[in-house]
This record gives sequence, structure tokens and C-alpha cells, in this order.
Amino acid sequence: MAGKKMHSAKRKRFINNTIVHVVLAILAVIWVFPIVWVILTSFRAEKGSYVSTFLPQSFTLDNYVKLFTDTTILNFPQMFLNTLFIAVCSCILSTFYVLAVSYCLSRLRFKMRKPYMNMAMILGLFPGFMSMIAVYFILKALGMTEGNLIKLALILVYSGGAALSFQIAKGFFDTIPIAVDEAALLDGCTRWQIFTRITLPLSKPIVIYTTLTSFMAPWLDFIFAKVICRANSDQYTIAIGLWKMLEKEYIDSWYTSFAAGAVLISIPIAALFLYMQRYYVDGLSGAVKG
Amino acid sequence: MRKKAVAVLLAGVMTFGLAAASLTGCGSDSSEGGTENVRLMVWSPQNDQSRDSGEWLQTMCGNFAEDHPEWNITFVYGVADEASAAGQVSQDPEASADVFMYANDTLTTMTDANALAKFGGKYREEIESTNSQEVLDSLIMDGDLYGVPFTTNTWFMYYDKSVFSEEDVKNLDTMLEKGVVSFPFVNSWYLPAFYIGNGCTLFGDGTDESAGVDFSGEKAVDVTNYLIDLKSNPNFRIDDLGSGIAGLRDGSINAMFTGSWDANAIEEILGDNMGVAALPTFTLNGEEKQMMAYAGSKAIGVNPNSKNMVAAIELAVYLGSAEAQRAHYELCGTIPCNTELLADESISSDAVVSAQNDTFNRTSILQPFVSKMSNCWTPVENMGKGIRNGSITHDNAEEQTEGMNDAMNSDGI
Amino acid sequence: MGILKKKVNEFPTPYTCTRAIREGGLETKLSMVLMGFGNMVHGQRIKGLLYLAIEVAYVVFMIVNGIGFLGMLPSLGSVPQEEYWDEAAQVYMYTKGDQSILILLYGVATVLLTVLMILAWRGALRSAYKAECLEKEGRHVNNFAEDLKTLLHENLHRLLMTPPVFFIFAFTVLPLVFMICMAFTNYSKIDNHLMLFDWVGLENFKALFDSSSILGSTFWSVLGWTLIWAFFATFSNYIFGMIISLLINRKGTRAKGFWRFCFVLSCAVPMFVSLLIMRTMLQPEGAITGNVNNFNVIYLLSGGDPVTDLASTAGKTDLLVTWLYKLTIDKQYYNIGAVIGILTFVILAIGALFTYHNSKSYKEEGGF
Repeated sequence: MAGKKMHSAKRKRFINNTIVHVVLAILAVIWVFPIVWVILTSFRAEKGSYVSTFLPQSFTLDNYVKLFTDTTILNFPQMFLNTLFIAVCSCILSTFYVLAVSYCLSRLRFKMRKPYMNMAMILGLFPGFMSMIAVYFILKALGMTEGNLIKLALILVYSGGAALSFQIAKGFFDTIPIAVDEAALLDGCTRWQIFTRITLPLSKPIVIYTTLTSFMAPWLDFIFAKVICRANSDQYTIAIGLWKMLEKEYIDSWYTSFAAGAVLISIPIAALFLYMQRYYVDGLSGAVKG
Repeated sequence: MRKKAVAVLLAGVMTFGLAAASLTGCGSDSSEGGTENVRLMVWSPQNDQSRDSGEWLQTMCGNFAEDHPEWNITFVYGVADEASAAGQVSQDPEASADVFMYANDTLTTMTDANALAKFGGKYREEIESTNSQEVLDSLIMDGDLYGVPFTTNTWFMYYDKSVFSEEDVKNLDTMLEKGVVSFPFVNSWYLPAFYIGNGCTLFGDGTDESAGVDFSGEKAVDVTNYLIDLKSNPNFRIDDLGSGIAGLRDGSINAMFTGSWDANAIEEILGDNMGVAALPTFTLNGEEKQMMAYAGSKAIGVNPNSKNMVAAIELAVYLGSAEAQRAHYELCGTIPCNTELLADESISSDAVVSAQNDTFNRTSILQPFVSKMSNCWTPVENMGKGIRNGSITHDNAEEQTEGMNDAMNSDGI
Repeated sequence: MGILKKKVNEFPTPYTCTRAIREGGLETKLSMVLMGFGNMVHGQRIKGLLYLAIEVAYVVFMIVNGIGFLGMLPSLGSVPQEEYWDEAAQVYMYTKGDQSILILLYGVATVLLTVLMILAWRGALRSAYKAECLEKEGRHVNNFAEDLKTLLHENLHRLLMTPPVFFIFAFTVLPLVFMICMAFTNYSKIDNHLMLFDWVGLENFKALFDSSSILGSTFWSVLGWTLIWAFFATFSNYIFGMIISLLINRKGTRAKGFWRFCFVLSCAVPMFVSLLIMRTMLQPEGAITGNVNNFNVIYLLSGGDPVTDLASTAGKTDLLVTWLYKLTIDKQYYNIGAVIGILTFVILAIGALFTYHNSKSYKEEGGF
């Protein structure tokens, strides 16, 4: 009797497991399908933006090679370097802004604290592109819309609003026990020393998270980049380049290289996501626990 | 007490910034001896500047500088293709190129932004003497000429000669019986060809803004009905996002409609079988109607904010001259519009050139560039999409056509 | 709402501006005219000089540019571009006309600068009064080095917050104020007011609330759809995510890491790349217009065909943001765009502040 019961429970579990796995498999196919498709396209030897078969007829690495060697129409290597430079600089700046602001809001009490938090939330709701033209003219008034200063302009634009999204980092700082700070204060540390020598070393995950998220913005934005770069093609970023490849003059011969470019910029971002997965999952389970 | 630190910094930097802004306005050209220092910023599509196509722009500018020893010219090159130049220039005319290339349908975008200079006097005469009236008309607004044309801009038909004979390609419905034809059905640059073919008009002759759009009544409804049938024809394919050229490549499509920019790719696919022709007619209620494309031109424009107006105008005229157009054709395949060049045997024998010119002269209307034209794109595109997804049928064709007409005549406000 | 309910001053200080004016000594009162004078008298020379420098910089700026900028603000400029024919050179020459957009931007910047100046002025006054009081009471008045030192400890927030806040002001607040101003002008392609435009008061808002106009009806239907979309998207995302994570994390599931990998991977492809790919891969969409919003989501949800209403500027499934983009960037109706931006913003802000202020975290987070 007992054995039979166990047997049927096992059976039930087996059926459940099968169903779950089948569902997951279907979902996984749906999720991964577009990605596989891009990767396949990036290795496709036939030209053109549209093919009737899912699998390419023949494979090639030329699309990647073309991306980095055929620089006469779209100088991809240059765009890559521009974007990298802008991304590194703006990520250093924004990380500093975010961590500094988060620390202040988490640990210090001052008059403008709550007003700042309210303001930050409201400002974050506004569609950014509405202010695009104004941002351009402000940058122009500061003389930053010509030559290499465009890079500086983009760095400022990408890092400028960073301090408005402090919530996650502040949430993290909030979880560090306040007793640590108090002990340090008793030992005669200044608040600056507490921030740099105690809080930051304790917050490695959030420092990395902040760095990586702010690193991504320049790779993805193309609206601001276009308005600020205008005709200065030597200052273009990757996103503008990818966009250009889809214009009607270029799409037929550049589409597969576009896919290659998309794969290339997706790799670091995917790596970032995978790296952050544990925080992501931890965060989620934390939320479930309440 | 140092809450002001914020304020101090802000005030300081902003003061500096605004002061700097007001100072940058002034610049001066120093002239020494007989030569005058001239700085000319020139924008063109990347293609015209790339090494692959022989650096057409740089070469031409070099020649221009040699022709004008009285100026010591520094050229500054920038990239803006004809379609987006209008947006770039009108965003901030003051900080834009002295000489740039634009598509004529963006003419009002730029004149509205005070970003386009007129050509007059001897320069206008020179331009007029080397271009056909149709091409000139595409750049004339209220009697003033706004650019130097260097190519025409329209679309026509490419087909597979092994499937269609020269006789077949005169009528779309005949073609549909013999082979598979694709058409950019949901693109509002192409779709109006059927409506215009049946007598629908845009702004009178195209320049009279107050006349409005007439895509209404029986003549338009008939076309909507024709399009609904066309869409369900088994030999018809909607060309969208490159599916046409892909179909040509894999053989599932035998004819498609596009412009000269796809000529190289199609020649690669079809080889000697590539046929090029002006637009065919279509059979509406037993009558032959001619499809009519939108046609325009691409031109070289001059910025009214240019500090060296004469040099800028001279350069624009030179870049649109027969010499420059020939180089443009040889290096980049840009189809010339200069009347002398078109008469030249070596150029007129090119099938693509003759098809484009035939379309321009015979099966097209001048694409209106009045401001209100900007209201005409989305409704037509929506019509195409509506027919494609089946929401526009013979039952509601009349009502939907009127809806499209109303929308084309409205600012949407 | 609880935002304005309890306005208790958590940070009381005896050195207020009003007291400085009422009770301050002569040197403090003189600081009203000559910023930093009080500080200098009480031994804070560098601080005083800094204040003075601010005042001088501001005055110089106002005389050179600022007054001109402010003076243009009411009219927003009226000189159109003029052309004349140069017979000798055979070319048309052009004079520079006014450009309302720059006048507006510089005007707004000047106003903002003036507001900051007033804050600085108040600060100078308070600082002078504080120095006066401290000296009177025989307490130590900080010198500049000591002042700087406080930045690392009790005033650390000033050190850390200043640069970010500066950039927020320059690149977020200033453009925002500028944009809000546009809503009250006729800056629009209609009737060609792209170069020169005027204040029109609440005209644009009227058009939007007039439900008989196309714009009005479009706005409300788009708004409705956006709210529905936002609600369901958030909700379904949340539920869906929960279910997935439960499925993956349940005991019997094998290869947890692999499933998670697949799921995360699908989020990892940059938004605009997946958007472009969706459009080409799933075939049925129109020309590439240049929009990087939640388009792909909409397209997927609506089966890829957003347009049925021929008359309006918006497709049925346009979100407010995408519609806004069309109106401002494609059609150049900047004023209408600004109005819609403001309204969206107000709706969102009310919703967000309400939820936020009622959330546990906000209520609990007051003390340590």
C-alpha cells in the first residue's frame, strides 16, 4: 500500500516535471529564437535584408570582416572607439554621481534631501527627447558642438542625468548597518572617510552594477547622439552607425553586417546581464520574502 | 552655509557659457594680398566622399579651388545625406554647412527655417540654361529658384527579361498574368501612383496649397477597390523591408518597383536579364490608366547664413555643373540631369538612366513640396496597411477612401 | 497626498534671512548690497571675496547680456530674416533675423540664473549674520580652510551633491523649463512659426481639451490606450515573471541555470536592436521611421498592425510617447508636443508621487 502510494506520488511528480519542462522549453525557444536568428543572419553569406529561409544557405565570416575593414562608407572601427571612449568616461562620471548622491540620501540628513528625492522622481518621468533641441542649444552655447568636444558633450549628456536614478544604490546603502558608521564616527573618522573607506568597499556589487549599467547607455542611445553629432561623421557612435546601415541606400548590402554589429554590441550587454543575474535573482527572492 | 557652493558654481559656469555664446557670434575673415581667406563647410552623403567612389566631393572641391586662385579656400566636409540634410540644417542653420545637398521635397522644411538661399541673376541663368523646365520647376517656389539640381529622384520598374517581354511591361495587369510582381504597397511614396493615375490631384498642379488634396469621390474609390483586388491577386506580392529584392534574388519575384539606388544590386542578381522601364499602365474598369510616380530632384543648396555668399554660390553651381555631374555619374553612378549630358550617347545608352528619365518626363508628377504635403504621408500609408490587414474591404472602401482624403487635408489638430 | 500636510522644519537654524535683515548689524545689512561684506569684516576674507565675485560676475553678465536676454523674453523677437539683391556680386544677401527659440532659451537660462543669484544672495546674508552672531557671542568664526574641511564631514553632502545637481540643472531642469514654456507659444510648423513665434497663453491647452477637434479626441484615446497598456504590461510582466521564476526555482526543475540563462539572454539584447530585428524578421511593418520606444512591444501585442484610424496623426495603438515623438520630431508641432508632454507628466507625477508616498518604504525610511 505505502509503496503504491509512493509510486503514484512519484508518477505525479514525474508528469508535473515533464509538463514544466515542456512549457519552459517552449518559452525558451520563443525567447531565444530571435537571438539565434540574428546570430545566424550575422553569419549569412547571402546579401539582403530579407530571405525566405530561416537557415542561411551558406555561412561566412565576411560580415564581421566587412564591419571592421570596409570603412569607406561607414567607419565602424572609428565609431566603436568613439563609443568606447564616451562609454568609459561617462560611466566613471555617472558612477561617481550615483554613488555620491545615493550615499548622501541614505546616510546624511540635510534640508534639501526630501525635496531632492521628490524632484528626482518627477524629473525621471519626463520623456527625454522633448528636451533634445534645448540640450543641443545649451551645449552649443557652451561651445561643445564642434570637433572633438562633441565627445565631451555626449559624455556630459549621458552622465548628466545619472544622479536622478539613485534608488537602487540607495536601497543597497540602506541595508548596510548604521552601527558600522557610528563605530567609525566614534573612532574619529570623517564622513568622507566613512564613505570612501568603509561604505564603498562594503558595496562592491552595487558599485559594479552602477558602473556596468552606466557603461551601456552610450551604446544604445541614438537619438541624442544624432542631434548632437549632426554632420560630424567622425564623431558618430555605434548606434548611429547601425541605424545608418538600415537606410534604403545601404540596407541591401549592409544588413548582414548590421546583424554582425548587433551581435557584437549585444555580447558585452548580455555578459553584463548574466553577471548580474545573481543579484537579479536574489533581489527577486528578497522581494518575495517581503 | 555653503549651500551656495552649488549656486556659485552654477552661476559661474553658466555666466561663462552664455557670455561665450554671445562672443562666438563674431568672426572675421582676414584678407591679405590678392587672396581672400574663405572657409567653406560642405555636406554631402558619405557615398560622395568615400574612397570607394573616388572621393568625388573632395576632387570637385579641389578643382574648384584651382579655378579660383582669388580665394584661399579651406574646405570642411561633413556627412548629411539628401533626405536628412533638411533636418540637420534647419535644426541650426547658423552652425550648418555653407553648401549642402538636399532632396527637393524638403525644400519647405528649409525655407521655413530660413535655411535656404535663392539663386538669382547670372547664376540663375546659367542653371536654367542647362536644365529642363521640369527639373527646374521642382526647385522653384513662388518664382524663386532655391538650388542647383544634380539628379532626378524617382522610382521605376525593374523586371526579369526572361519572364516579361517589352510589350508585357506596358501594362501591370498583363504582367500579373505572366509572372509575379511586387510593389511597395505600404509605402506612401509609391502607393499614390495608382490614385494619381486615375485623376486624383494634390494641391492643384502641385504648387497651390489652398487647392488642397483631391483623393475623393468615385475616381479614388475605384482605385481603392482596384488595390483591394490587386492585393488578393495570387501573382502579387507586397514589397516591404527588402522582401522584393530578396524575392528577385531567390527567383520568387519577377518584377519590382524601386529607384536607381538598387540598380547595382539588381544587376548583380539578374545580370543580362535585367530590364528597366518606366511605370506601366493598369486596367481600371476596362480602361487603361497610367501609373504616375512622385518625382523630384536632388539639388545643391546654399545656406543664407554663409559668410562667403559668392564663394558658396559659385561652389554650388560648380558642383551641379556638367563636368561635376559627369564625374558624379562615373564615380558614384548618380544619374545626371544636365540636358547636355543626357544628350550624350555614352550616358543615354544606360538603361537605368533612360528609364529614370522616361519616368521623370512621362510617367510621373512633380512631388508637391508645399508645407501641407507633410499631412499626406501617414493617411496613404495607413490605407495600404488597412488593405493589407484586411480591415479595408469592398464594403467600406468608399468610407475609408473619404477618411483618407479628409486626413490628407487636415493638420491633425 | 501628504506632501504638503506637515511642513515641520526639521533643520532649525537661528541664522535666517529675515533675522539677518531685521536684527543684523550694519555690516550684515551692507551685505545686502555688497555681498560678502559682512564675512570680510568678520575675518572670513576669502569667503567674502567669493561672494563678492559672484555678485560682480552676475552684474557684469546682466549688463553685457542678461538684460538684453530678459528684455527680449516678452516679445520673443520680431525681426524676420531680410534679403537683398547684391547686383555687383549677383547673389542674394541675407541679414540675420531673430530666432525665437534661442531668445526663449537664453531668457529662461537668465531667469534661472537670477533665481540662483537670489539663493546666493540669501546665503551671503545668512552667512554674514552667522559670522556676526558668532563673533558677538565670542565663539570661533571658521576661516576658509576650516570651512573647506567641513565639506569632508558635516557638510559632506554639499561636496558630493553639488556636481550632480549642477548637471541635473543644466541638462534636465533648464531644458524642462524651456519645454514647458513652449506649451504657451505658437512654436509649430503650422502657419510657419518655426523661426519667430509668440506667446499665446492657454490656446494650445484649449485645443487639447476641445474634444470636437481631432487633436483632442486623439489625445484622449491615446491616453486611454496608454493607461490600459501600462497597466497590463506592468501587471502581466510581473505575474509572468513570478510564474517563470516559480517554475524555474521549483524543486523538480532540472538545469535551472540553463533556463535562467535563456530568460536573461532574451532581456540582454539591446532594445533598439531587437526592435529593428522584429521589424525585419516579422516582415509586416512599414518603413523605418526612427522610433526607439516600446514599439516592438506594441507591435507584438497588437499583432503587428497598429493603424486603422485613417484620420488621426496617431495609430490606434500608439503610446503617448511614440505619438509625442511623431508630433514633435516628424511633424514639428512643438507647442502641441509640449502640451501633451506636460499633461502626461502631470498624470504620471500624480500617480507616482501618490504610490510612492503611500508606500511602506517611504513612510518607514524617515529615521535611522
